[in-house]
Amino acid sequence: MISLISAPRNKQLKIMGVSGGHGVRRRLLSLGLHKNDIIELDSHGIFGGAVLIKDLSSDTSVALGRGVASKIMVEIVGK
Amino acid sequence: MANNKSYPDVVFIGQPNCGKSTLFNAVAGLKAVTSNFPGTTVKHTHSKVNVEGRILNIIDLPGLYSLNPSDEAEKVALSHLFVEKPDLIINVLDASILGRSLEMTLELIELEYPMIVALNMTDLAEKKGINIDAEKMEKILKVPVISTIASHGRGLKELMKAAIKSLDEKRSPVTQEWSRDVEEAVLDVEKSIPEDFYIVANKRFTAIKAIEIEKRFFMRMLAEISIPFRNAVQRARDKLEERHNAPAYEVIEAERHHLALKIFEITSKVTRGKSIGWQERVDDVIMHPFLGYVILLGVFIGFFFIIIRVAGPLEELLLGPLSSIREYLSATLGTGILFYLVDGLFQGVGGGIAIVLPYFIPLLFLMSLLEDLGYLARVGFLMDVFMHKMGLHGKSVSPFILGFGCNVPAILSTRILESRRDKIMTSLLIPFIPCSARTTIILALVAFYLGPFWALGFYLFNMLLVGLLGKILSLFFKTHSPGLILEIPSLKIPSLMNIWRKIYFQLKSFVQFAWPILIAGSIVLGLMQFFHLDASLNIVLAPLVEGALGLPRDLGVTLIFGFLRKELSLIMMLQALGTDYQSLMTIISRQQLIVFTVFISFFIPCLSTVAMLWKELGRKWAFISMGLNTSVAILLSLLVRLVI
Repeated sequence: MISLISAPRNKQLKIMGVSGGHGVRRRLLSLGLHKNDIIELDSHGIFGGAVLIKDLSSDTSVALGRGVASKIMVEIVGK
Repeated sequence: MANNKSYPDVVFIGQPNCGKSTLFNAVAGLKAVTSNFPGTTVKHTHSKVNVEGRILNIIDLPGLYSLNPSDEAEKVALSHLFVEKPDLIINVLDASILGRSLEMTLELIELEYPMIVALNMTDLAEKKGINIDAEKMEKILKVPVISTIASHGRGLKELMKAAIKSLDEKRSPVTQEWSRDVEEAVLDVEKSIPEDFYIVANKRFTAIKAIEIEKRFFMRMLAEISIPFRNAVQRARDKLEERHNAPAYEVIEAERHHLALKIFEITSKVTRGKSIGWQERVDDVIMHPFLGYVILLGVFIGFFFIIIRVAGPLEELLLGPLSSIREYLSATLGTGILFYLVDGLFQGVGGGIAIVLPYFIPLLFLMSLLEDLGYLARVGFLMDVFMHKMGLHGKSVSPFILGFGCNVPAILSTRILESRRDKIMTSLLIPFIPCSARTTIILALVAFYLGPFWALGFYLFNMLLVGLLGKILSLFFKTHSPGLILEIPSLKIPSLMNIWRKIYFQLKSFVQFAWPILIAGSIVLGLMQFFHLDASLNIVLAPLVEGALGLPRDLGVTLIFGFLRKELSLIMMLQALGTDYQSLMTIISRQQLIVFTVFISFFIPCLSTVAMLWKELGRKWAFISMGLNTSVAILLSLLVRLVI
């Protein structure tokens, strides 16, 4: 299990869990990011900026700040 | 339901970017403002419409991701939904992301208010290869489902027909059943709700919310009301958490999620794999870690030059005839009070037409274009890293950019921010963003007399200043920003109709609200000049104006009027100095011109902005904002005198 910021780009990733307060967890849920969803890391901003992910399960794109992204644990699919 | 109201309330509710406002607009005519940025409808819009002889009060609520609010705009929507109890809900869904959208539909059904579903953007869904069987969905959800394409006005008639029918039938939808253990937990809580407890929508919904709310004070409050009830809620939570090894709200959320996915699978046929459309190819470039920023800078500079290219010539075209009419006036009316009155009126009316409108309209047009395209949300992503440096995050970018148009709606839009800290910081910084009125001054004075690069430099300096102030302000706040979580909507080709609607609204409020102040201010100034009152005011202000700023004493009174509305200062500057636009530089020096622009740009936000700050944050912050702006303006003006 790795954190989303250290995950590779353009590989299918599975959300294993979110650490952090319920505020962040709820917000992510309501935007369609659930546990076990398959996502893809599309882009990194420069200088340690936000990351852009695409949730393939709910088909939505979401920009996440660095702090938020570090709280999302993922696993590379097929590994 | 409220039968005592004269017209039935029909609310439009849906997730951000589902086309809800577009649909609402199509039904209502020119009423709400839409955009392609999550959370633009920050307050609700009412409109009365006549559908087949029936008058309905239709209401557009801010977009919601779920019925658990996380920012103020969402709270506005929820309190409306819970307290006002609409007669009918029209739930607008984005058919292209049906799975996610259905989760909120299921939650809305739990309210058991009469409801219909508008399955919107079916064209986009089809392009993605998703075909949805609306009839099948209607059977499962047990509420009417109507396919619509709001941007083309398709399905509107059917939708409103279904609305009337549902209003007449007053049928409550039936909640979908969850897993047995979750149902049992909910029922357990439902049974122990005290007689006198405030029921939101219905007992089941109230019980679910009681389990879902993760706030400590809520449990304490329940304990105050009824210990058995509190214990039942706690018992239900413990049971769910133990069994599913997750917080209770996540267990309930998962129930809706699974149901939504199931309904999606039953009702939709995904015919072909995900094809890469132009949107994704464009996104790869404009969100690129390097190219993205080059393009952003290009857009910013392009924006700026387009406005100068369009506005400059337009302004000159309008100013020529205006100054000859003025000469004619002074020749015919002499120097009596009549001349001062007519001249004041004329300056106010003319100022609005010749100085404000040429800049205002192109700016509004370009802003709406970027907003509707979906570029603003992408700017939020790109700028997140820089916003972090000043203690905020990418979501504040949208209020800031709106601020370039007008600070007043920009402050209102800070409601999309989740934390109060971010809201206060962003609202304090917005008055430092040059709005269109101040852009007018910067362009009309700096760009016109010193050249466009001076003006561009002024802008860049302004941006740096906002960053620096943000950094300093963040030192005063102990808590941290919660971090960026922002949906990036798919790129859309903006519709000219929507852009025109936005421009129309802004212009209308300018003509109704600002222009009269402008005209009244000009007339008052004319009268003051006639009675030589301005001279006494100027003497009072002389230590500041002459002493600290090194400006001609006559400009003192114009600063006061700048508080009413910033561009008044520009118009009144000419009036106060008794000169016209073309020959201004013969009277004041380059340094004075820059000091004047700097001071006007940064000192007290205009009256309307202060009023909005007061309303949104309270008196204390409104005064802090005025103090902050005025001290920064004085400091910077002194600095300019030292450097230039």
